[in-house]
Amino acid sequence: MPDLLPFLISGLGVGAVYALSGVGLVVLYRSSGVLNFAFGALGAVAAYVAWSALDHEWPLVLAVLAAVATSVAISLAYGRLLAPYLAEREPTVRSIGTLGLALVVLGLTEWFWGEQPRRLVLPTDSGAIEFADVRLTYTRVLGLVTAVSMMAAVGLLLARTRIGLAMRALADQRGLSAILGIRVLQVDTAAWVISGAFAGVCGLLLGNIVRLQATVLTFLVIPAFAAAIIGRLSSLPVTVAAGLGVGMLEAVAVLAPGFSPFRTATPFLIALLAIVSWRDVSRKA
Amino acid sequence: MNIKLHSFIAATALLASGAAMAQGKPVCGLNNGKAASGEPIALGAVVGKTGPDDFSASALASQAYFKCVNANGGINGRPVELTIVDDQWNPEVAAQAAAKLVKDRKVLAMVGSSSFVECGVNAKLYAQEDVMVIAGVGVPRECFFAKNYAPVNAGPRVSATVVAMYAAQTYKAKKMVCVIPNIPSLGNWACDGAKDWGKANGVDVDVIAIDPGSPDATSTMLQAAAKKPDAIILNVPKGIMVPMLAAAEQQGLAKKIHFVSSTPAYNFDVPKTIGAAWNGNFDIHLEFMPVESAGADNLNWKATMDAYGGKTDPRDSFAQAGYLAARIATEALLKMDPKKIDRAGVSAALRGVKGFKSDILCRPFYVGDGARHNANSSGPIAQVSGNGFKQVSQGCLMAADPELSDLRGQEKKLGL
Amino acid sequence: MNSVPPPEGAHFRVAGQADRPKGASTTPDSIQRERRAARLALLRMVLVVMAIGALVPWLANAYWIKTLTSSAALAVAAAGVALLYGQLGLVSLCQYALLGVGGWVALRVGHGLHWPFEACVLAGGLSAGVVGMLAGLPALRLKGLYLALVTLMLAGGFQVVISATGFPDGGAGFLGRISGSERLMLPRPAIAQGEGAYFTYVAAWLAAMLALLELHRRTRAGRSWALIRRGEAVAEGAGVNVLLYQTWAFGLAGVCAGVAGALLAGSVGQLDGRAFAASESVMLFALSLIGGAYHWAGALVAGLLLRAVPSLLVDLGVNGYLAMVFFGAALLHALITAPRGLAGQWLAALQRLRAKGRA
Repeated sequence: MPDLLPFLISGLGVGAVYALSGVGLVVLYRSSGVLNFAFGALGAVAAYVAWSALDHEWPLVLAVLAAVATSVAISLAYGRLLAPYLAEREPTVRSIGTLGLALVVLGLTEWFWGEQPRRLVLPTDSGAIEFADVRLTYTRVLGLVTAVSMMAAVGLLLARTRIGLAMRALADQRGLSAILGIRVLQVDTAAWVISGAFAGVCGLLLGNIVRLQATVLTFLVIPAFAAAIIGRLSSLPVTVAAGLGVGMLEAVAVLAPGFSPFRTATPFLIALLAIVSWRDVSRKA
Repeated sequence: MNIKLHSFIAATALLASGAAMAQGKPVCGLNNGKAASGEPIALGAVVGKTGPDDFSASALASQAYFKCVNANGGINGRPVELTIVDDQWNPEVAAQAAAKLVKDRKVLAMVGSSSFVECGVNAKLYAQEDVMVIAGVGVPRECFFAKNYAPVNAGPRVSATVVAMYAAQTYKAKKMVCVIPNIPSLGNWACDGAKDWGKANGVDVDVIAIDPGSPDATSTMLQAAAKKPDAIILNVPKGIMVPMLAAAEQQGLAKKIHFVSSTPAYNFDVPKTIGAAWNGNFDIHLEFMPVESAGADNLNWKATMDAYGGKTDPRDSFAQAGYLAARIATEALLKMDPKKIDRAGVSAALRGVKGFKSDILCRPFYVGDGARHNANSSGPIAQVSGNGFKQVSQGCLMAADPELSDLRGQEKKLGL
Repeated sequence: MNSVPPPEGAHFRVAGQADRPKGASTTPDSIQRERRAARLALLRMVLVVMAIGALVPWLANAYWIKTLTSSAALAVAAAGVALLYGQLGLVSLCQYALLGVGGWVALRVGHGLHWPFEACVLAGGLSAGVVGMLAGLPALRLKGLYLALVTLMLAGGFQVVISATGFPDGGAGFLGRISGSERLMLPRPAIAQGEGAYFTYVAAWLAAMLALLELHRRTRAGRSWALIRRGEAVAEGAGVNVLLYQTWAFGLAGVCAGVAGALLAGSVGQLDGRAFAASESVMLFALSLIGGAYHWAGALVAGLLLRAVPSLLVDLGVNGYLAMVFFGAALLHALITAPRGLAGQWLAALQRLRAKGRA
């Protein structure tokens, strides 16, 4: 089919979005055992901060720094001040706790910035690579590159460094790790900082590629879970591949007659199919 | 191509007391400068404030006008009390809000409501309790298919039809694509006016229904462009429109295809947000005359907002709608005996509204006792120009949507 | 996974697991006494719910009756969530979607076949029960967070479909969408036409569903669930049919959600597809947890938290988004300070007070 290619390429943009969010989710899960429902909300607040900064004509670098610093600060505050109270509870409860954070952050963002059409314009928007009549803006290319490089960096961090080892230990057995002399607070700090920074960067890209609307960005975390699920909440390369695949399939679904209005269901369908096809599934999670 | 375009210059209707009006000082109600102190008249409004978009501007403008009325003799001495409730874009909450206003507050009528979900949920209640609603802005089909719900605006179906007619007339567009969210009673309705009109006039209009939650605007634009249209009609909320235009710009479609939109694009943040690529390249149907038009009533609306509205209350087309709704209600109430104002009387008086004139509207407004209401079915076309808009159509265009034929019949009966 | 201790306190315990002092012998006498206490507790529960159902219409205005009707309907769904989590430790994040399934079926048969309202509610409940069982099948292979995510994906899929198709509102065809006139409302039962009467009616359903769950908990099913929760090997060793009882629990929770959906459809007269986002299912779970998953009162608290508290904030004139902030903070606070849910916390406080009074 000759007209399939444009959609595959346009799907790469959203795919990068899913991949990035998926990596961000998996990172925190692997290092602290929490599935972060607030990931999207943190990204949204970062994107709004960047928008405001650019609106006040700050230089781009400062705007980006302010945005990421905001999401890191909120993430760290939650991770250090509130998350420890839930540390002994089961993973589901720990994850539901971040839903509380998501509501607080989303509510404040919507209240403070209000409803007004906004667009987060990055300088990388103006240039583009052309493929098959479709233009892939440099922002999207940047998204793809960020997803892959973040995956590599975090993979190395978790697998090769001491703090990565400590993170994995903490996620598995918090009490035991503490007894073994792992500095729980230090490791927690690192995990939440990394996750917050991820959320901030994702939020900036999402705000540009998808749209700058806090509620939409907050709940975009739900289809992003699909990529994380396919990566079984542990494999970063699979998560990235899954994110890209889901994004491209969702775009191609436009061509399926009758399915086009339902194409946003694609991530959920693929995640369900993946789970059904698994042979050995750990019952622990 | 035989396009029946009923274009005409908007009647420069004079306010009844227009001559007395000085710039900056609003004219409203009895306009006697005496504060009303009698028994309050309870009115209500349901607005969608918290949610995907903020529709509260309409009821805030109604509120401002009523404040002005209360400071100027009220309804023959009785002040108006407007209670505004946020339905949070949630049907359940909308039902609760209506229960609160109709049953607990015992409002005599609803004025200035603007809600996406309310019409479908509450139309039945309003009919049962015989409460008339002079709404500001209605969006889904149910708002235009209820006996007791009369929105002042034209609605997305009329809006898309008019802009399609304009595109056919101005750009000789023969093939168009209309993009609409796949929400029930919107997705299968709001683009069909353009489609039905096109069928009768040799213009091919395709409809693309999209999931409003979809993160992927680029594919939607590519899908629309793949049909090789001369014009793309965007019939979506502004929050979804902005990324679509951005995607179209990035894909280089802005130069190849004419983009036109129904009324949601008419918002003062839009031109700056979508950027220079759309300057002089994006046409929008307006449900009312432009916000900056120099008509006497339009200036009075602004003066009312400045004197009685909040500083941050938007001065947009929603506010125009709310102002008009409040004016319609006030004029109807003023004709009643102030001692005998009850719900049945108010509903009858509102149904009797006929030939209400304002230079914000293209044609006189009426309510009537028909089974449905869509009195506003025309409007001018504006184009994005710099950081604002400029009117490009000669006066107003009237929607030649076959679905409106029953209303045209009714209008004839009413002698309009 | 099983870090939450089994339920404590006299009347929400699986019969036969009461806190007997160590060494005391189990005489037929004490068993009988316990059974009587259990029956009394069940009766008390039904009476309390029915008393609320009878009193509210006298005390509240139309706004609050409407709000509390939604709360009571959602309490039924929350009871189902609490059953899965409290009894089996299973997390289902698609219960609000099942509510939509129940509502859809109830509206469909109500408009299309003009069944009496009770039959619509039952049809909605049963079909949601069947769908719930199917959704619960992955639970045989997945546990914990994975199961939660699978059910969340189901909820996400449902959101897309229902927001595109909408709920039946009296039209023709399979989807039952009307066009060209006002939407039709689902007729309420003849005995509960008014808002007040309908609240009492919903309270009666709530009492019946809570009693049904309570009876399950006290009989063979409850014992089997308790064993499954301890570990499947244990349960299988004790001769429990894990497949049957676990699926049964999902079915029951689905029935609860479906009944809630049908009752909600009756309250508003119709349902709107956009109100069934996947995030609603997450909220339903979170608030059921906060209400308390180990006592029937937790479901009532969850219902109030889901509908009455937001309404109260809006009624007080709080900005909708600030209400959301408050809600999120309260969610975190309750999650941290009340591991057994607000109902558990309050009941424990009550018991302490009583103990003090006796001492």
